[in-house]
Amino acid sequence: MPKIEVHEKLFNSLLNRQYSDEQLEEIFPVAKAELDDHDTQESLYKIELNDTNRPDLWSASGVARALNTYETKKIPHYDFFSTADETKDSRGRELIIDESVAKVRPYSIGFCATGVVVDDKILENLIQTQEKLCSNFGRKRKSIAMGVYRSDLITFPVHYKGVDPDKVSFIPLGMEENLTLREIIAKHPKGIEYGHIVADSPVFPLLTDDNGDVLSFPPVINSARIGAVEEGDEHLFFEFSGPGLEDLLLAASIVACDCADLGYTIEPVKCVIPKEEPVTVPYYFQQKATCEVSYLTKTLGEQLSEQQIVDSLARMGVEGRVSGGVIEIDPPRYRNDFLHAVDIVEDVMIGRSLASFEPELPRDSTVGRLTLGEEFSRQVKDICIGMGFQEMMYNYLGSKKEYIDNMHVSGDDYIQIANPMSENYEYVRPSIIPSLLESESVSAHAVYPHNIFEVGKVAYLDDRDNSGTVTKNHLGFLAASTDMGFNQLNSYISTLMYFLNKEFVMKELSDPRFIEGRCGIISTDGKDVGIFGEVHPAVLESWNIAMPTVACEIDLDSLL
Amino acid sequence: MELDVHSLHPLEIRVLRHVSLGEDITNTRLMEELDYQTGHCNQAFSWLSAKSFIEETKREVSTWYEITDFGKKQSEIGTPAERIFALLKEDGPKTLPQLSELLSLEKSETGSAFGQLSKAKVCAMQEGNKAAVVSDSLPQQFLIGSGVLKKGLSGLLSEQDLSGEELAYMKKNSKKRGAANSPFKVIEREDITYRLTELGNQAKKALLEKHITGEELGSVTPAMLSSGSWKSGSFRPYSLNTPSARLIPGRRNPYGAYLQWVKDKLISLGFEEFDGPLVENEFWNGDALFMPQFHSARDIHDVYYIKNPSHARKIEEPYLSQVAKTHENGWNTGSRGWRYSFDHEFTRRQVMRSQGTVLSAKTLPKAKIPGKYFGVARCFRYDQVDATHGADFYQTEGIVLGEDVNLKTLLGLLKMFAEEVAGAEEVKYVPGYFPFTEPSIEVHIKHPVLGWFELGGSGIFRPEVTKAMGVDVPVLAWGLGIDRMALMHLGLNDLRELFSPDIESVRLRRSK
Repeated sequence: MPKIEVHEKLFNSLLNRQYSDEQLEEIFPVAKAELDDHDTQESLYKIELNDTNRPDLWSASGVARALNTYETKKIPHYDFFSTADETKDSRGRELIIDESVAKVRPYSIGFCATGVVVDDKILENLIQTQEKLCSNFGRKRKSIAMGVYRSDLITFPVHYKGVDPDKVSFIPLGMEENLTLREIIAKHPKGIEYGHIVADSPVFPLLTDDNGDVLSFPPVINSARIGAVEEGDEHLFFEFSGPGLEDLLLAASIVACDCADLGYTIEPVKCVIPKEEPVTVPYYFQQKATCEVSYLTKTLGEQLSEQQIVDSLARMGVEGRVSGGVIEIDPPRYRNDFLHAVDIVEDVMIGRSLASFEPELPRDSTVGRLTLGEEFSRQVKDICIGMGFQEMMYNYLGSKKEYIDNMHVSGDDYIQIANPMSENYEYVRPSIIPSLLESESVSAHAVYPHNIFEVGKVAYLDDRDNSGTVTKNHLGFLAASTDMGFNQLNSYISTLMYFLNKEFVMKELSDPRFIEGRCGIISTDGKDVGIFGEVHPAVLESWNIAMPTVACEIDLDSLL
Repeated sequence: MELDVHSLHPLEIRVLRHVSLGEDITNTRLMEELDYQTGHCNQAFSWLSAKSFIEETKREVSTWYEITDFGKKQSEIGTPAERIFALLKEDGPKTLPQLSELLSLEKSETGSAFGQLSKAKVCAMQEGNKAAVVSDSLPQQFLIGSGVLKKGLSGLLSEQDLSGEELAYMKKNSKKRGAANSPFKVIEREDITYRLTELGNQAKKALLEKHITGEELGSVTPAMLSSGSWKSGSFRPYSLNTPSARLIPGRRNPYGAYLQWVKDKLISLGFEEFDGPLVENEFWNGDALFMPQFHSARDIHDVYYIKNPSHARKIEEPYLSQVAKTHENGWNTGSRGWRYSFDHEFTRRQVMRSQGTVLSAKTLPKAKIPGKYFGVARCFRYDQVDATHGADFYQTEGIVLGEDVNLKTLLGLLKMFAEEVAGAEEVKYVPGYFPFTEPSIEVHIKHPVLGWFELGGSGIFRPEVTKAMGVDVPVLAWGLGIDRMALMHLGLNDLRELFSPDIESVRLRRSK
């Protein structure tokens, strides 16, 4: 979930007022925001945004806009958007896309903003917006990369084309030497981080102005001159590149509205796309969305008047109308999250305020029931406890050492994690016995005898299942004391099976985990359901256990 | 103040009843007059002193001699000198080694005894280094030893019990330490003299008044019951606050017991339990929940992948096709979908279940309407393990299906959980975000101990989730943060403790 840091002064000026921390905590939920921290020393608010589908909220302007709209019920209007019906005058500013980028990164669009001198707070804010948009929403620049440039150094039109990565070179931001594009992805920190997005293509994307001066190598790095925005700059060019036009238009709209809220004048740029209609950016592309009033009523459980619906939507910045039992909305310019009528329902709900809905208990009568497995587990646990055993609960992931090396087994049918965070959690537990032995190995200080058990899940490879694995409910128990041995173990098993009402026979077993001739298979109705035995001293030695130990494990699912 | 004399031990009672103010009380006296053993005396003195019923008035050290096993044997078969004299007299001259061998004596014993005998001119060394008898009988001095040994058999000897000659013998034939080869062991004893205190005298009076004699019955024995002997006596009351011996019972794991309580609570609210395998695939773990395959929302759940088999063989139809179309263009769910090309390879990739909601989704196709379901599911996340993150952990989740469920019944359900499961005093709802529910609600509760905290997340499943699973009624989905309440319930503050392998800490753990 995105977290942003917002400077107090900038935030308050955007809000046109100052909230106390308590007031912020009170109102933040309307933007699905949480005040993580208010660093009074640095004058910073740290805000967590929970809605991963609302990138417009991931900036100071975005959060402030949501709160202002909610408080005032006034929908903000932005007059710089072109639409399908009306194209704004771009005054000759053009961004021309060459066909050569079609296969590597087909789209680049942009707009200019002017009229406010960039100070440190605005610069920090810009960098943060770029970072959140491109990293979270833009999937680490894969679908959206954003660049900011000094537009007063640019001679329009700007050209976006595919070039030979070994022949074209420029000085990238943060370096002092001229590097080819190929050298940039090998040497520059940003190249190393993002170069893979284009590395396999024969041509790399490049953005230049009409004089051939480089703006950037999207999506990797800006140039050190036109692409180096600093405090004191006043004329900016924003550019967005990626594989899909809609994502870029939305990102451009969000940034344009943010800039407008900061006082910038937005100057449209006409983007000329091969084989497509040109689009003048910022461009309002979102379609109207609808929701039947009856669906809203059914989902919220409450009948709202048309006015209440329209007002609630307005508090969320959504222009809505009700007519003929249907709500029709114009999504705000900076939002594209209305996938289904239910998304309109949610905006009405939040705009209306959750506190206005009275909780009601579901009226349907249903029968509560445990799974058979849980019921049987409880029976088994009761018997184990009656025999004096302590119930344990363990993690289901463990290391190769615990599950394989210490157990002296091959582990051929164990499930291995492909991307373990550490070798401590590299295998899925195939058996409860290693967990019990781990307990024994760390508990020599505990008064003996040790009688412990767990009823829990294990999983291992099994080709008969679609997943190639199987998960089972098992009982495992272990007993350790100076005089623990086979006879006592036998008594435990007989007692357990007697009270589970299962006839059983014991069959010979050869298993490196146990002493040969002092272990066996438990079999009922011709099915092998468990194993038991005196734990082999070699295994005990591996676990550093110096106490005679017996163990037993039973597949409970096979007894059901 | 009333003295509690009921809890006195019989050894104490008999002493108190027996002695009077101003009298000396000693070991010797109790042994003689009350027939106590030394151990009895020590116990009685220690207990009575601790209660200030007697006080120490004098302390002196006395020396005692105790016959050893070695001494007892000598008394039986004779001293080495006696035996050497008898053998030589009967059997003729012998070398010293021969004597040692025939009489099973140590060389040093033979040497020392022969030395004494020859000094007393009873024996002498003759030709061939053979010892021989030169007198008819043993002088008196050799009989002293056997006399002392005989006395020693009847008990401890003090210096007063011995004549001058006997004492001289004793000094030579006793040792303080390492007395195994010596006939007597020296015991130095502190003899302490006590007197009854004023408080002790009160206790004595109380005992007399209440007719407590110390002859009361102790443990009930089978013999006592079958003979009926208990009828003629009274039972001694036992001290109530004596520390008890530790017992190690068979017991539930307190965390497991808590989870069971939660399950029972949910059953009582009409929920049916569901369960499923630990290994899932991307289809159920995310796609079926309408989480776009390449959207950043998928980052919320960083998952563990399975090495081999990395992919499930197939995904159940018609759900695969329906979900794929829903992602691509909304299918018939009324949604516009995520508008991308659904990856049929990616959807088969196997993962460790990362969220309990997977089981809710899997339950949808076979769910009853109306229906309520829940599960306590072990989930796995790719997280650094610390006090607030486990490699694997439990999630408690569920769904409610019904023609008439809606936002208000969702709020009602959350309120019921807050009150019934968490014991909340106040409930607050805030809008939340989950990729699979819309609207989404977080429920915060005010707990009597913890204060305000987030109890769980919930919402109404998106139609893109339910319709793709063939369900046409609204479905409420909820999850509760049970682990946090379990920690509080058990007085713990580290999630790792819930799965502790330490037997002792689990044995002693209890709920607050």
